[in-house]
Amino acid sequence: MRRLALIALAASLIVPVARASEQHPTSAELEGEVMCPVCGTTLDQSNSPAAQQIKRLIATRIAAGDTKSEIKSRLVAEYGDAILAAPEHKGFGLLAWWLPIAGILAAAAVVGVGAWRWSRAREREPEGPGLDPALEQRLDDELARWDT
Amino acid sequence: MTRSVKLAAQALAVGLVVGLLALLVWRVARDSNKGVSQALAQGEHPTAPAFDLGRLDGRGRIDLASIRGKKPIVLDFWASWCVPCIHESKRLEAARKEYGDRVAFIGVDTKDFSGDARQWQRKHGITYPSVHDGSGSVLSKWGGLPIPKIFFVDRSGKVIGELVVEEDLPRYLRQIAAS
Repeated sequence: MRRLALIALAASLIVPVARASEQHPTSAELEGEVMCPVCGTTLDQSNSPAAQQIKRLIATRIAAGDTKSEIKSRLVAEYGDAILAAPEHKGFGLLAWWLPIAGILAAAAVVGVGAWRWSRAREREPEGPGLDPALEQRLDDELARWDT
Repeated sequence: MTRSVKLAAQALAVGLVVGLLALLVWRVARDSNKGVSQALAQGEHPTAPAFDLGRLDGRGRIDLASIRGKKPIVLDFWASWCVPCIHESKRLEAARKEYGDRVAFIGVDTKDFSGDARQWQRKHGITYPSVHDGSGSVLSKWGGLPIPKIFFVDRSGKVIGELVVEEDLPRYLRQIAAS
C-alpha cells in the first residue's frame, strides 16, 4: 500500500513536468533532441550555419507558442525523420524503444528459468550409497579409541 | 523443457544473430556505395542518378529521368545556409542567359528549410527552378557534403564532370551544349 502511494506520488510529480515540457519547450531541450543535418551531432553541440538556421527556427516557433510536437513535426516535414536524435514514440519508431526492453526481459526470463531448473535438478540429485556397516563400525571404534 | 522447445529456442537465437549480422552487412554495403563525385574522381562517367522531387516554388515536381537523355543538364546542389553557394548560383544564373535554351539548369536545395530557401532565391535573384531535398537523400547519391556541388550531364544522360575550379563552368557548359 505504501509502495503504491509512493509510485502515485512520483507519477503525480513527473506528469506535470512532462506536460509543461510539451506545452512550453525550451530551446535548450529541443537543441538536445534535434540533430544538425550536416555535422552528425545534436544542435547544442554545433555552431555550423545549418545548425544555427535550425536554432533560429526553433526560437521563432517557441516564441510563436508552438508545442514541442508541433516544432518537431515541422522539422521532420522539412528534413525527414533523421533530424530527430531519438526515434518518435509511434509507428516503426516504437520498435527502437521497446525492442531493447523486450530483449532485457527475455534475457532475464531465460536466466531465471535456467537458475530455477538448475536448483530443482540439485534438489532431486539422489544421495550416494551409505557406508558399509562393517566399515562404519570400524570407524566408530577407531574414534572411540582416540577419545580415551 | 522438452527437446523440441529447446531446439526451437536455439534456432530462434541463431536466427536472431544471423538476422542482425545480415542487417550489419547490408548497412555497411549501402554506406560504401559511391556517389557520382567519387565515380568521377575515379575517371568514370556514370548515368545521372534519377530523382523525382517537389519544386521549391510549388509548381509541381521535377523528374530528372524525364529530362535525362533528352537535354543536357546542369545540376546545382545548394542550401540557404551555404555561403559559397551564393557565388556559384549567381554564376549559373548568368550562364543560363547564354545556355538556357539548350541546357536545363536545375537546383537541388538540400538539407535546408524550404521557406528560407525561397527567400534566398529571391534575395539573390536566382530564377532557375529548384527542387527541395530536405533529407539530403538525393545529395548522398551524388556524393554528399560539402556543397556547393555542381554537375554537368550531357545529352546522353552521362555525368561528364563536376565543377572544381572556376574555369570548369564555361568548359563543361560548352561541352554539354555541343553534345
